[in-house]
Amino acid sequence: MERRSFLKGFGAAAACAIAIPQVVSAADEKKNGGPNEMSYETAVSAITGGKALVASAKVKMEAPEIAENGAVVPVKITVDSPMSEKDYVKAIHVLASKNGNVRCANIYLTPANGEAYFGTRIKLGGTQDVVAIAEMSDGTFLSTKQNVKVTIGGCG
Amino acid sequence: MRTLSISAALVCLALLSSVHAEEKLSMSDADKAMYAELLENNPAEMEVGEGEQLFNSLIGSAAYAKMLGVKEKDLPKTIAGFPRYVEPAKKVVTLSQSLQMALANQGKEVSKLESPEIIKMTAYIKSLANGQKTSIDVKANAHMKEMMALGQQVFEERRGGRGLSCNNCHSADIVGQRLRMQPLPDLGAKVTAAAGTWPAYRMTQGQMVTLDKRMQQCMENALLAKIPLGSREMVALEVYVTNKTKGNAIQIPGLKR
Amino acid sequence: MAEMKTLIKIKPKDYKAGDIVKIDFMAMHPMETGMRKNKDTGELIPANYIDEVKFSFNDKLITKMVIWESLSVNPLMSISFKVPGAGTLKVVAKDNKGQSVESTTQITPKG
Repeated sequence: MERRSFLKGFGAAAACAIAIPQVVSAADEKKNGGPNEMSYETAVSAITGGKALVASAKVKMEAPEIAENGAVVPVKITVDSPMSEKDYVKAIHVLASKNGNVRCANIYLTPANGEAYFGTRIKLGGTQDVVAIAEMSDGTFLSTKQNVKVTIGGCG
Repeated sequence: MRTLSISAALVCLALLSSVHAEEKLSMSDADKAMYAELLENNPAEMEVGEGEQLFNSLIGSAAYAKMLGVKEKDLPKTIAGFPRYVEPAKKVVTLSQSLQMALANQGKEVSKLESPEIIKMTAYIKSLANGQKTSIDVKANAHMKEMMALGQQVFEERRGGRGLSCNNCHSADIVGQRLRMQPLPDLGAKVTAAAGTWPAYRMTQGQMVTLDKRMQQCMENALLAKIPLGSREMVALEVYVTNKTKGNAIQIPGLKR
Repeated sequence: MAEMKTLIKIKPKDYKAGDIVKIDFMAMHPMETGMRKNKDTGELIPANYIDEVKFSFNDKLITKMVIWESLSVNPLMSISFKVPGAGTLKVVAKDNKGQSVESTTQITPKG
């Protein structure tokens, strides 16, 4: 019994060769008290480590062209990928290009996700581009963006 | 002649730009669908869950039904008919007020109408009537008739520095018009489903808000003195506004801008 | 501070092993940016936001999220998950003040 569970555990560890990096990268850094200001250019180079960012139709973003308020803007990102051990999306990064801290979320995925998808709701300080960067397992960085117009609401 | 053609051109330009602006102002159907989809994950669901815990620990549906003089299984139907005349109070009360009464009956501390406890419990018990239709009966008795008449008066009364009434911005006449960039809702419209969807989560405030509180927020922005929560006038206004959407489905919690 | 309320939803409700489902995770959190002022005192409200969320299945990490204050109040985080079989899905959310909450739900494929 003991041995079986050990083996099972070992098997799981072996299958888990693809581990999410535990080291805090520059892209993940934050100040404890905040606010975490970071410009778009700085954030992009922290994520890519200086590698080229390639605009790609493989990265799809669903976000409203016109947001009825800046407090809750729905954003969904899907990346075309087989999500296999050999070919998968390591991370999806969501950036709001003109927020004080442009970084919204860094999502580290594994093949266990089965599909490279992240859906959330973000705050936008005003009309701006929302950018998604996909970090692929082959080390390339693909991206897409969408302009979201933030309207000023009516009564209260 | 030349001036004329220039001004004609200018008018043309103005027309074009206004058409163009109109396009930019309105959300596409795809955009609207994205917002409609937000209802699937309404943050207020968590608050309704808290309301359920609070209600069950502080009041309980048996005690609540007994206070209203109805069977427990008839609670959803009864709740769908609020605001209504409640015998122990000898007056027309809102759902939130009925919870205050129930708290008092149970010997519990009576929370204020604007307290998170009352808001969450109101949303929870109203959610028991989800799927039912708003069934307020403004002709049920003299009390309801009186409150309906008062509600209409409050709704139509122009007051404040700008002489505005609720009716100025929320009648069938204003459909299609905008305040800043927001389409103004006709509170009687089926699509608005106003009364049946409050308490609702307000995205701009990140919290759940009751119908009477929402009306206060509206008054504040229209520079009208706020009618106090729980006052006869506020209850009457809720009666009047709720009656506008009688027959619409109750869907709690709602999700609003 | 009261414990953070959370909600996990698996969509669709019925699924089989091998299906890709959506995991929707919501948490009640103010997501303060640190740039908002208290209206009465004029003082800045300190930043307070969920900064890390980890999704694991049978104790194996499947997705790790590093989050900032730009996510909406009471945020939603949704991912896909290929159901390998029955087991426990665990979501651990932590904020920048060290408050953390663990939520679990059972993954029960049909057929």
